[in-house]
This record gives sequence, C-alpha cells and structure tokens, in this order.
Amino acid sequence: MKLTVNGEQRQVAEDWRDETLLTVLREHLGLTGTRFSCGIGQCGACLVHIEGAPVSSCLVPIKDVAGKNVLTIEGIAPQDGSLHPLQQAWLDANAPQCGYCQSGQIMQALALLQRNPEPDDADIDAAMSANLCRCGTYDRIRTSIKSAAVVMKEIS
Amino acid sequence: MAIFTRRRFLAATGVVAGGVTAVYMFRQRAEAVAPTFIFPDNEAAATWVQIRPDGSCMMYFPRMDMGQNANTGLAQIVAEELNLDVGEIDGVLPSTSDVPPFAVTAGSMSLTAFSRPVAVAAATLRENLRQRAAGKLNKPLSEILDDAGGFRTAGGQVVSYRDLANGAGAVIELDESKEIPHLYTFDSSRQKQQVGKSAQPLGMRALVTGAPVYTGDVPMDDVLYGRAVLPPVRNARMATVDTTGVERVKGFVALVEQTEFVGVVCKTPSAVDAAMTKIKVTWDLQQPINQQEIDRLVDVDAAMSEGNLEHVLVDEAHRRDVNWAVDLRFDVQVQSHAAQEARVAIARFDDSGDRRKLEIWTGTQDPFAIKRFAAMDTGMAEDDIVVYPQRLGGGFGGREHYEVERDAVRLARAVKRPVKVQWTRADEFMASRSRPASSHRVRIAADEAGNLQDWWHGYVTGHVVLSRERLPDWLLPIARLSEDFGVTKGALSPYRAVHQRIECKDVDLPIDLGVWRSLNCAPAVFARESAMDELALRQGVHPVDFKVSQMSDDWPRLSNCLQQVRKLSQKRELPAGNGFGRGYACGTYDGRCYVAVSADVHVDQTTQQIKVVHMCCAQDVGMAVNPDQLRAQMESNLSWGIGMALMERFEVADNTIQSSNFDNYTVPRMSDMPSVDTLVIDQPDIPPAGAGEVALIAVPAAIANAIRNACGYRALRLPISFADTQQV
Repeated sequence: MKLTVNGEQRQVAEDWRDETLLTVLREHLGLTGTRFSCGIGQCGACLVHIEGAPVSSCLVPIKDVAGKNVLTIEGIAPQDGSLHPLQQAWLDANAPQCGYCQSGQIMQALALLQRNPEPDDADIDAAMSANLCRCGTYDRIRTSIKSAAVVMKEIS
Repeated sequence: MAIFTRRRFLAATGVVAGGVTAVYMFRQRAEAVAPTFIFPDNEAAATWVQIRPDGSCMMYFPRMDMGQNANTGLAQIVAEELNLDVGEIDGVLPSTSDVPPFAVTAGSMSLTAFSRPVAVAAATLRENLRQRAAGKLNKPLSEILDDAGGFRTAGGQVVSYRDLANGAGAVIELDESKEIPHLYTFDSSRQKQQVGKSAQPLGMRALVTGAPVYTGDVPMDDVLYGRAVLPPVRNARMATVDTTGVERVKGFVALVEQTEFVGVVCKTPSAVDAAMTKIKVTWDLQQPINQQEIDRLVDVDAAMSEGNLEHVLVDEAHRRDVNWAVDLRFDVQVQSHAAQEARVAIARFDDSGDRRKLEIWTGTQDPFAIKRFAAMDTGMAEDDIVVYPQRLGGGFGGREHYEVERDAVRLARAVKRPVKVQWTRADEFMASRSRPASSHRVRIAADEAGNLQDWWHGYVTGHVVLSRERLPDWLLPIARLSEDFGVTKGALSPYRAVHQRIECKDVDLPIDLGVWRSLNCAPAVFARESAMDELALRQGVHPVDFKVSQMSDDWPRLSNCLQQVRKLSQKRELPAGNGFGRGYACGTYDGRCYVAVSADVHVDQTTQQIKVVHMCCAQDVGMAVNPDQLRAQMESNLSWGIGMALMERFEVADNTIQSSNFDNYTVPRMSDMPSVDTLVIDQPDIPPAGAGEVALIAVPAAIANAIRNACGYRALRLPISFADTQQV
C-alpha cells in the first residue's frame, strides 16, 4: 500500500495496514510533528491535509488514504531551509508555549488561508476553534494568522 | 505586617511551610518520596554551565520545559554574565546522569530559586576565563575588560572564549571560600544587555516546524507498544480481572499480570487499543465515587458548625457574634489539568553487559523522582537507571509522579524489548490528580464609616501536596501533622481588619488529588475577592476604590496592580447595551507575585451565554527578566481562569470518572478567548519571582464580579452557567 506524503511516495508495511493515518505517520514513517492528543477528532493536534483538506488524522484509517496526497507540518516549508510564512509569523509572535498543539494549529491556519486569504476575527475564531490550545495561546495565534495572511498575499 | 508575625506569614504562604520541611526531612529516610525538593545552590549550579572545546557556551537546563520557558530566562542570565547573546547559549536538557539532582519543576519557583545560583555560576565562569585571559595576554587582571564573547584590553587586544577554550573548553572552578563575583544580573545600575529583554524562547523553531521534541517523538529501534489498565482512583484494588481473548488480537505480543497490575504489549498502537478492550477489570473501592460524596466532605458550613476548623492560620481578636455585612458561601468545582500531550514513556532494559541498565524517556516535572521510584519498583540500583527527560506538552502541576513510566518499565522488563506506552485521553482523565473541590464561608463586618472590622474566612478542601496519592501510607499521618501548603496557599487576606480568623480543614476525597496550577490560591482568591466586591457594592463604593482603601499598608505592590489594571481597563469603553459588565479582582501568590485582572463580560439573553469580551491584567513579579514571556504567561493564565470560571468541571458518578475527553470536559477554545491587554510592572531592584500560575488566581473573581455588574447575579458556585444568572 502506498500514499504520497509531503510530495514523496511512501510504502506502508503489512503490519501497519490496520492503523490510523496518525500512527502510521508517527510510528511507521517517522514524521512525528503530527501529534496525538484526544483520539476522537476533538482537538486538532493531529491535523493534516488530505488532498488539500484539513482532517484529523487520528480518525482516518490508513487504508482510506491509499494513493492519496497527505501534507503534514514537516512538508509546508520551502526546500531551501526557510520557513513558511505561517511558521515565521508564529515565531515572530512567540506564539507557542508548551507547543504540543502548534503543528495542528498551523495546519488549520494554512487550510483557512487557502480558502479565505483575508479572514477577519470572526472567520479566524470560527475556523480555529476546532483546535485546542490548553496553554491558551489563542490571542497570539490570531495575531500570527493575520500577519501571515499579509505576507502570503504579497507572495501570491 | 501588623497582624502576622513574619514566621507565620511565611508558613502560610508556603515559603518555609511545614509540609515541605517534613517531606524533605523524611526523604532522607525513604528515598522514594516525591517530589524532589533540593534547593539549588552554587555548587550544583556550577555543573550547569560550561564552555565547550569550540568556545561555545553550553548550559544544562535545570528546569523542565513545559511552556513556561523558565530556562530561557535562566539562559538570559547566563548570557548577561558572560557577555553573550542569549541565542548563543546552547541549552541541553540533561539526563539524570549528567548533573546532580535538582528540584521538581513546580510552584513557579524557577526564577525565584534558580536565578541567583545560575548567575553565580556564570559569573564565576566569566572570572575563571578572565584569569586565563590575563595569563594568555600577560596582563594584570585589572586590565582585562569585558567584551562580547570574550575580553579585550584598553590597548585593543581581543581574546575570545574560543581562544581561551583552547580546544579543551572550560568548566567552572568554584571556590566557595572566595567572594562571589560581581553579578551583572542583580546590579541595578548596570545597563543590561540580555536580562529585561524580550528574548525569543530557545527551541521555538522546533515547535513550529514539527521537529521531534516530546517523548513520543523519540526514535527507538525495535520498539513495541504497550499500555496498562488504570484504576479510577489509586487506592482502588483489583477485584476481578478477565483477559479472555486478548491473545487472539492481531499483533498481540504479551499479557503482563502482576500484583495490582495488568498490561499488554503489542506490535502496533492500534493493536494495543484492541487488546485493551479485551481486558476487563472490576475494582474494590474504599469510598464511593460520586459528586454527593464530594459535596458532603467539603461542606464548610457543616464543618464550621462543629467548632474551630483543623488549621487556624490567623486568629487575631476573633469575634463570632457580629452583625455581618457580608456572609456568603462559595463553592468551587474539581478541575483536571487536561494537558494537551497525552503522556508517553519509553523504557529500555539492557542486560547484555556485566551491568544491568534501565533507560527511561519521559516528559516529567521531576526526573530525579522518576529515577528513585524506578529503582524502588525494579529493585535496581539508582546508578543503573538513567532518565532522559523530554519537553512536556503541558504540565500545570500534574506530571510529577512515576506512573506512565511505571507501565513502560514493567512491560519492557517483561518482554525484554523497548516498550513505548502512550496513554489515551481517557487514561489522562482517569489518572488525573485533580484540584480538589472546596467550599468557603466568608464573613465580613465593617464599622459605620465602612472600614473592615471583622474578617472570618473558613474553608474546607481536599488535601493537595499531602494528598493520599502523593505520599506512602506510613508517612501520611506524620506529614499531615504539618499544614499542607497547597491547601493554605492564598488564604491570607491583604485587607486590614482588627478582628480576623482564617481557618481551614483538609480532607480525603474519593478522587485522586494533587497539585493544579496555583493550588488553593485561585479558589481562595475567588471567595475573598467576590466577598469584598459584594461588600463594596452594598456600601455603594466602587470596588477598586474600596479594596485600595482597605488594603493593609504592607501590600503596596498589590494595590498598585489593582489601580494600574483599572487604568488599563478604562482605555476601552464597556460596550453599550444590556448585559455588559466589568469586574476587578486582585491577589498575591506566595507573597512575591502580585496581580490584578479586569474582565468585561456579556451576559447575553439572546444567545443564552456568558461571554468574556475583554480582559486586562497587570502583574508585578519583581525584575522582569523576559517581559514578553511574562505577558505570555499572563495570557495563558487568563485562558485558564476563563475555564475555571465558566467551563471546566471534573465529573464523577457511579463509582467512576465520567470526564473522559474534550467533548465532556470542556476547556476554552479560541472563540472563548477575548482580546487582552497586559501590563508588566518591572521592578529591576527586586529579584525575579515566578509567573507560571499567578494571573489565574484573580480571573474567576474578576469574571464573577463582572457578571454581578452586568446583571446583578452574585456567583456563589463555579463554574458559572448562564442558567445560574437567571436566578436574580
């Protein structure tokens, strides 16, 4: 069984075919930036994009993504070692505290900006309320999304 | 302060609390007692900082990072002393074999207790290097001047740490008989280069790129996956265990059954999930687990009707029969930490050589306690055990104990392979060492001019640091001869009253209890600040004016916070229309950290919701080592305060824990988080104190007071629901 992760084709071994996308990414393919927290799609810590859409990877059987394109936090920055504008905005705002939820937050923000390049506060709150941050970094995440939106618009 | 002796004040705030002393004393007799409580000294700190052979500065971080970024503050101090940029400090989380034991990361003590020894270490290293420079340049010591990353002479000669490392590096040569070198950090006349600046927390890039930083991210060859069954409460005993069919689960490797322990090891994580559904355990409980039982045990009125409460913290000319201007009871719910990382531990045994070795990877607040407990659990020598602590995905007081580590150790030992144990979210709630419920009776009397005369605050709560789950049975009764500083935290009133009694009783509850952000401080401040607000309103005085006028002269920094936050809040108009209100509250944590909060709320009759629309926070924790991180901690605490005031409640019923995930234990989301204005009150001449659990203490009362202002409802019970407010 194969799938494409961050543009690279990856093979899933026989033993791992009853797993979720999340455990395959983390434990089998070594992509540990996507994280487990609730296991029921309530918190967004495991958020990845499947064919461009944000999905909680803890809920997805690996069989369902055979042949599909998956994007994780490890795959959003350019190859040259620089950061994606969202990651840079997150750094500029010192948004993370414990940091555990932040991969999922950034992936959710990326999905938001892809469908709505100029979100207002209400748009941001609506989209991002799917993602928990127990440290309460929400205000800095809002700031980061707004500044990244400006940069991404300039780039495009 | 007129009404307290200093000794009593310190005892009640926990600075020299009996509980700590007792635990520390008994640790000498029984090593496996948590937490590790070793006050950092110069000798230990000297092992934390060194110059590597290439001239770079390496620092072993003596604090566990869980979002508070205390290590960055300590690294700023090292950078200040060594004339480096904080970004040049290479911070490494040490294993338990790299450095002597250091204290549990808890109690917002990191900057308070560690800043000075770290400064002494780095300054000593600087002066050691200055001597080398003098030798190398053949100049008297007095001519060797500071320079960025090294030294220079007036004549323009420059020598870097790299030159001085000379391919061998430099460790600190501490001579305790010598005078402590000049500490730049604590020299208020110095123009600081690092301390007081908003440095970016170290390691932040890894957090936005998904780099491996947590225990679950540690790569491990040949690893298997496991989990053990957790009891609903730690003093439950297994009655029956049924494992029928577990061996037939695809990917099953081993079932491990020991006294009061049953766990499973499989090839993959979801095989573990499947296997765990086959293991059915019933439990014998020592107490029924339900809300009625908790309510019965923490009933303050029942306890006070029987006479004095067990611990009298303040008793100054107390009067019982007075015409009380305010006489209110407040009830506070049980809360769980609900840190976002579901706990993981990895254990690996190696008995291939002539010496057995056990390695444990875990995110813990107390790596040295994990090592002690693992030694006791396995019968191995402590020298044969290494704990590699990892970053925590949130701690908040809940990660000090040998638990998920125990499961990994026992399973790995049984199967002779490395085993990774990842708790489920339900496990996280099941194992919660929650903040106890509490109930408070606050009675205040004032004279005709409105000044406080009598203050009587009695409360009943569960044990915190001396809880049943934290100490071995043999130690419990001895330890409980002392006051539990988790229970007394925040109890002292900053308001002046001639007649005062503050008393409390701590009890065992049918759930597991422990240290939760701010301990008893947030519940106590909620009761006190709500009662004072109510008294002010009944007197027709603005609550801030009233509190400032009644505050003892010993609390100028608290009074200042309150007045500053009022100013800050006034920059923004409260929205017009029905149902909006503004409230204020203030408090002190440990007598070193001061905070005041304002909350603007909307009690919305249309949506039938209470929404916090804006908050302000003014905080004074002494020297602001990293102002941006102080703001970050304020923001985090405001969010926790919203959860405590309006949302979170740990549910029990039918002899089990009902809270199992974020769908039935609701914590604040972005839509619950208002805009915030924060003010850092810097005190460059006062040593830094912690900020990790300070601002939270004032939030629930600020919100409750805002609701009172919005619609007249006085909240007597947390969490407050919209339905409650309709009782007016």
